[in-house]
Amino acid sequence: MLTLILRRLVQLPLILLAIYSVTLWLAWAIPGSPLENPEGRRPPVEVQRAMERQYNLDSFPRFYWSYLENATGVRWLREEWSGVAAARDAQAIDAGLAPKPRLFFDLGPSLQYEDWRVNEIIAASLPVSVTLGAGAIVIALALGLGAGVVGAIRPNSLADIGTLVVALVGISLPNFVIGAGLLLVFGVWWGVFPVASWGPRGAVLPMITLSLPFAAYIARLTRMGMIDVLGSDYIRTARAKGVAESRVLLKHALKNAFLPVLSYLGPALALAMTGSFVVERVFTVPGMGQHFVNAVLNKDLFLILGVVLVFATMLVVFNLAVDVLYRWVDPRIE
Amino acid sequence: MRDGGIAYARAMWKLLAPFIVLLAAVGLSVLSDKPQPPADIVFINDGDVNTLDVTRMSWLQDFRVAGAVWEGLVINNVFSRDFDKMPGVAERWERSADQRTYTFHLRPNAKWSDGSQVTAEDFRFAWRRALLPDSVGDYVSMFQMIEGGQAFYDWRQARLDEFAKVHAPADRAAAARELWAQTQKKFDELVRCEAPDPLTLVVRLERSVPYFIDCVAFEAFFPLHRGLLARYTSISPETGRVETDSGWTRPPALIGNGKFKLTTWRFKRDMRLERNEHHWDQLAINVDSIKMPSIGDPNAQILSYRTGGADWLSSVVPNYRADLIAAKKQYINEHQELYDQLKEQGFDQVAIDRRMPPDPRQNIHVFPAFGTYFYSFNCRPNLPDGRPNPFHDAKVRKAFSISVEKSIIAENVRRIGEAVADVLVPPNSIAGYPPVYGAAYDPAEARRLLAEAGYPNGEGFITVSILYNKDSGHDLIAQAIAKSWQTNLGVKVTLDQKEIKVFRQDLKSSNYMIARGGWFGDYGDPTTFLDLSKTNDGNNDRKYSNPVFDSLLDRAANELDPIKRMGVLAEAERMLVQDEFPMLPIFHYGLVHMFNPHKVSGVSPHPRQKQHIQLLDMLGDGKGRDAPLEIPPPPPTRKW
Repeated sequence: MLTLILRRLVQLPLILLAIYSVTLWLAWAIPGSPLENPEGRRPPVEVQRAMERQYNLDSFPRFYWSYLENATGVRWLREEWSGVAAARDAQAIDAGLAPKPRLFFDLGPSLQYEDWRVNEIIAASLPVSVTLGAGAIVIALALGLGAGVVGAIRPNSLADIGTLVVALVGISLPNFVIGAGLLLVFGVWWGVFPVASWGPRGAVLPMITLSLPFAAYIARLTRMGMIDVLGSDYIRTARAKGVAESRVLLKHALKNAFLPVLSYLGPALALAMTGSFVVERVFTVPGMGQHFVNAVLNKDLFLILGVVLVFATMLVVFNLAVDVLYRWVDPRIE
Repeated sequence: MRDGGIAYARAMWKLLAPFIVLLAAVGLSVLSDKPQPPADIVFINDGDVNTLDVTRMSWLQDFRVAGAVWEGLVINNVFSRDFDKMPGVAERWERSADQRTYTFHLRPNAKWSDGSQVTAEDFRFAWRRALLPDSVGDYVSMFQMIEGGQAFYDWRQARLDEFAKVHAPADRAAAARELWAQTQKKFDELVRCEAPDPLTLVVRLERSVPYFIDCVAFEAFFPLHRGLLARYTSISPETGRVETDSGWTRPPALIGNGKFKLTTWRFKRDMRLERNEHHWDQLAINVDSIKMPSIGDPNAQILSYRTGGADWLSSVVPNYRADLIAAKKQYINEHQELYDQLKEQGFDQVAIDRRMPPDPRQNIHVFPAFGTYFYSFNCRPNLPDGRPNPFHDAKVRKAFSISVEKSIIAENVRRIGEAVADVLVPPNSIAGYPPVYGAAYDPAEARRLLAEAGYPNGEGFITVSILYNKDSGHDLIAQAIAKSWQTNLGVKVTLDQKEIKVFRQDLKSSNYMIARGGWFGDYGDPTTFLDLSKTNDGNNDRKYSNPVFDSLLDRAANELDPIKRMGVLAEAERMLVQDEFPMLPIFHYGLVHMFNPHKVSGVSPHPRQKQHIQLLDMLGDGKGRDAPLEIPPPPPTRKW
């Protein structure tokens, strides 16, 4: 297990480097200038040139290396060890100015939202996305496991067909339709939950909306697994021994039927945390998914790279976590 | 039995543990996110704030927030007919006889939000920062009107350009500091912006600029707290540039001198303003707190308004707004007599609403804005592919301009009651500017002109291509215009739809034949629109160049008599909209707001469409003036 974790952790930087290179190459190719408004006045030419120079936007290789240096902490270490940082701070204080704050993993400034650094944007929005995604998965598990078990106990019963229909709707209806419907019913008509406000109450509807497709999938996985397992010999043996039906289902059957669900959970969790753009937009959730799309539209290079790298890291880490969990639940797996 | 029980419990635990952990984490995270206390008024800005650095800002939504957090020497009165100037930090000001020297007398009780005094030196400091090429401000040219401003900018730019070449890496840090010391001296030496005492600011202009006071009211001219900026400023040893770290524009660091202070700014989430108890004019503050949630989805904005989550939407964009506006028209029809009477008395739009019986249909408002939607003709002699450009000929441009039936676009495509435009400067928006009339729709004359230019019935004319970006209904407008040209002129038209970034790039590099465009004025003078057609102007996407037009603008610039000057400018505009047509004006923008006129006051219907959110008032909440702010009707004209 330790070797698995170590191997994955060694792979991580290589994967990130590859993703960084490809993303920057693609983002660089987006036409237009990130420093220009979509409408109206454009900054004077000399102003634009000065800004390009400031952010290294005038040279691909220079941008590539300087970003890499800043984002990995190499620059921080270099300046710290060579004494450059200390000398500069001392000079600044001499001149009556502030020492420039330095971040270890410096993801750069946002070109669109100039008052914020990408580090701050991610620090503000990542917890929201993680909460939204994790909450959705918890709800999906509760709904999905329940529906799946019910369906498996009485296959082809009304309850089973009912959950099948709900699951089909959950999978095939897009988020923005479900979201808009929930918003209209619970937000506008009944006024139970606030519209467009994130908080303990405002989190309920987006989490449910985001959970439905996952719940549907989990329900189908559980049902299939349970039906499979319930027909096996060891279940018949357990029943013959007179084990209570609830224990047969929960202890003997569900444990084995749950494995496919577990392996699905890693990618599902990552997807729920990163792919919530539509839900974020419908419910005005201040998460990270929106930056994913808007940053590309604005050609906000630093934000694109920051968001992509954070998401990529999350994806790798979640897959690793699921592999570890898998082995913990079922030690037979090597 | 017992063993089985333990194994069972362990199996269940293994299954459940990760989810219990996950659930706990989610619960903690959600509960820790405490909602803020409710604010006196909630408004949804026209998009998220991009920056609160007043030197650098250029977006409408940024200006609005800045206007509440800072205060300039003078303030535009957005509730006056002529957009008068009111005293702000300056309690009075004088202009010299040659109209080039302005002396501002600052009020002694103007305070920063930390309680310290606002001085003339704070303005000098902010204006010096705006004149540094390091600050890369969009509006630097406004500061170059000050005598010596251009020279100072160029001097500093030249020093920065040679910095890396002149200094070896080892001595750059010292050289950068030395250069900064020199720069400060150079500013004192070159730029005629002086503070003889802490409460007096004297500015001398390069030449007379009649709208200078209007510029001084502009956000880029706000003062900056020197101590605050010093804490965030550093000098780059690599380039010699002075850099400001972005953190200073955010609470709790931010120090302003406006009626409000920014107490919360959560990125893409919300902003909150609270009364600045150090402001000198407490009586003019009508609410204690203003909240600005960030809601990107236009539908969600309206839902939020309907469920009481917002009091004022400053930009209503969903398609169905046209239906809401139609419903309001219906409501007005039901009370036509009363409406006509009020209109006759000269009340502004919202004042009329307040005097009519309350009805939810009243809550939508379309205000004429200080902006014009137009089509640009590429005026270069050759097209991007090298063919000769027929639109180089003013006759062709005129033929295309007067063959568009604009009322169809305003009434059937836009559907929000915007005024058809035959001119560039929106009518009645600038005091003292005489009305200009453009050429009207005349398809017969258009065909005649086209024949005169060598294309009878459109024969032999190249296929015309219209460039536009795909958002905001530009496609529908392009279709309507293409149809006009096809039927009226007999030319073939193709539509060329591009993504916004590509569109902007094509515009800039003149890679188009005809393109959609739009412009909002920055200050109250016709030049804010007319400069667009000046030879070599950075925003002259048409590459139109006409020495006669340029000389008219020069003449106006040197004219000291304001009435004569406006006359010359009107002549220049007339030239563009009657004969030359570098652009084809289509309609003057309307901005659609949503608020209850009986509850909310402070939203200005003035055609300059500048919103001072620091004036907002919830009527009947017992705070502030609680009487609606309205544009006073003109004195009744006597009828004989």
